[in-house]
Amino acid sequence: MTTLIKLEIIRALRNKKFMFFSVIYPPALYLIIAGGADSKPIRGMQLDMGLYFMVSMAAFGAMTAVLLGNSERIAKERESGWVRQLRLTALPARGYVAAKMGAAATVSLPSIVLVMIVAATVKGVRLEAWQWLAIAGGTWLGSFVFAALGVAIGYLATGDAVRPIAMLIYFALAFLGGLWMPLTILPQWVQNIAEWLPTHAYTALGTAVEAGNAPHVKDMAVLAGYLLLFTAGAAWLYRKDTRKA
Amino acid sequence: MTTTATTTATAAQSAGPAPVVSFRGVSKSYGAVRAVADLDLELHPGETVALLGPNGAGKSSTLDLLLGLRTPDSGSLSLFGTTPQCAIEDGRVGAMLQSGGLMEGVKVKELVGLARDLHPRAYPLDQILETAGITDIAERMVGKLSGGQEQRVRFALATAGANDLIVLDEPTTGMDVSARQTFWGAMREQALQGRTVLFATHYLEEADAIADRVIVLHRGRVLADGTAAEIKARAGARRISFDLDAPVDRDALSALPFLTSLSVSDNGSAADSGRRTVRIQSQDADATVHALYGLGAYPRNLEVSGLGLEQAFIALTTASDATSATAEEAAR
Repeated sequence: MTTLIKLEIIRALRNKKFMFFSVIYPPALYLIIAGGADSKPIRGMQLDMGLYFMVSMAAFGAMTAVLLGNSERIAKERESGWVRQLRLTALPARGYVAAKMGAAATVSLPSIVLVMIVAATVKGVRLEAWQWLAIAGGTWLGSFVFAALGVAIGYLATGDAVRPIAMLIYFALAFLGGLWMPLTILPQWVQNIAEWLPTHAYTALGTAVEAGNAPHVKDMAVLAGYLLLFTAGAAWLYRKDTRKA
Repeated sequence: MTTTATTTATAAQSAGPAPVVSFRGVSKSYGAVRAVADLDLELHPGETVALLGPNGAGKSSTLDLLLGLRTPDSGSLSLFGTTPQCAIEDGRVGAMLQSGGLMEGVKVKELVGLARDLHPRAYPLDQILETAGITDIAERMVGKLSGGQEQRVRFALATAGANDLIVLDEPTTGMDVSARQTFWGAMREQALQGRTVLFATHYLEEADAIADRVIVLHRGRVLADGTAAEIKARAGARRISFDLDAPVDRDALSALPFLTSLSVSDNGSAADSGRRTVRIQSQDADATVHALYGLGAYPRNLEVSGLGLEQAFIALTTASDATSATAEEAAR
């Protein structure tokens, strides 16, 4: 099983286009959005653009790597019959999903770190050491929620359908979760929905730390709830797929 | 061959170990289509068994059930006395699927390394590559292989460790003649080491040459089960052909003993009209030919030859179709 995880990481690193998209894109987007912004706090928040978007772009990058990468690759491998072939080995049933999630999380780490490096060097973001570690760690751990969602989508859809479905969920979650613009500038009803989305809870972990607080219990509970939901969904779809394979 | 198979079977039964594969009344339908119908099947240690049948006969479904990739609607099946999943997890089964895709974006060597890692009793890497004949493409990326090379990589994955049963679904599809010979050479070696080998094929010559037991599947049932020679015998073993100069009395010919089929063709030009070629299938060629002379005929260019497995196969499946058609009519 370690070999499988190792191979999944190797092939992800070899996939240049995917690596570029998931690693370079978030810091680039960070510079475009927050690059020219001043250091005044965002309306309704204690944080300025440089700080706020450091967390949301790190989250966005991690989500790109784990959600899009997982869903598409799993759907493709189900179709090609590779998943069937793997089921004829001593690899336990959960092994494949675990390897996919582990590899995705490994790929998501560089994009998180890169956004933080760009924020520190270009935008001069300064935080305590514990804050850097807590944000990187929280964003990384939180990405498992979306890795599970990616696995679920990969088992839900096949071939041509998987990309549009994954994209739709990905953009809706990113936008409504406040990854692209602070939620406080959006209408109240959007904010009311957003509060319960995994993406919002995800960035809220980091922004709370940036403000010098501990992450809110509610956000952690929301994330844990979604992790449970997506993992259970992925497991259910996996079993269903096993029956019809 | 027959004796060997029978001895093994008897030994297995008397010694009491579980058969390698056991199907009891297994059925599987997809919607209205009955892919496997009340199938009973037992494989014993050391057998090399060919699963033969026309497209849609239920070969792939049978193998999927055997490997636990599908679950039967009714009936029970076991591998080594346990479930397919347990047998696979114990590394007792190696399988090569028809639709077995490969992991892309990795080297052949790395993929075989993965198969080794997942097998509890893996062989050394070099040995696996050598046996499968892929040493020269070990550094190649999996996505850039030809169809025949992919098949050999699949074979390497299926034989990465010491399995007791090897299951192959149409393994030589996409291989050229020499690759096919190399492949079966490697397969025979596995069989000589005491492995049980089960393969589905539509190349009848492969079944004839390699298997010591042939199971003919038709419409999800076992239509015939025996050595290649026995199957040929069951289908009406011998083919007799000869020319007749004199006008032919069809009725007299069709009354010949042990005859299973008769065809008379006009093969002459107008100049020697009346010369006919007669083709007969018979279950006892000696008796049929003897009776032919008894008719007072003078057959020229007389040839008696064995039916190929292919003809036997067609004869068996056609006969079965005719029977079931009659049964359906009778039911109406």
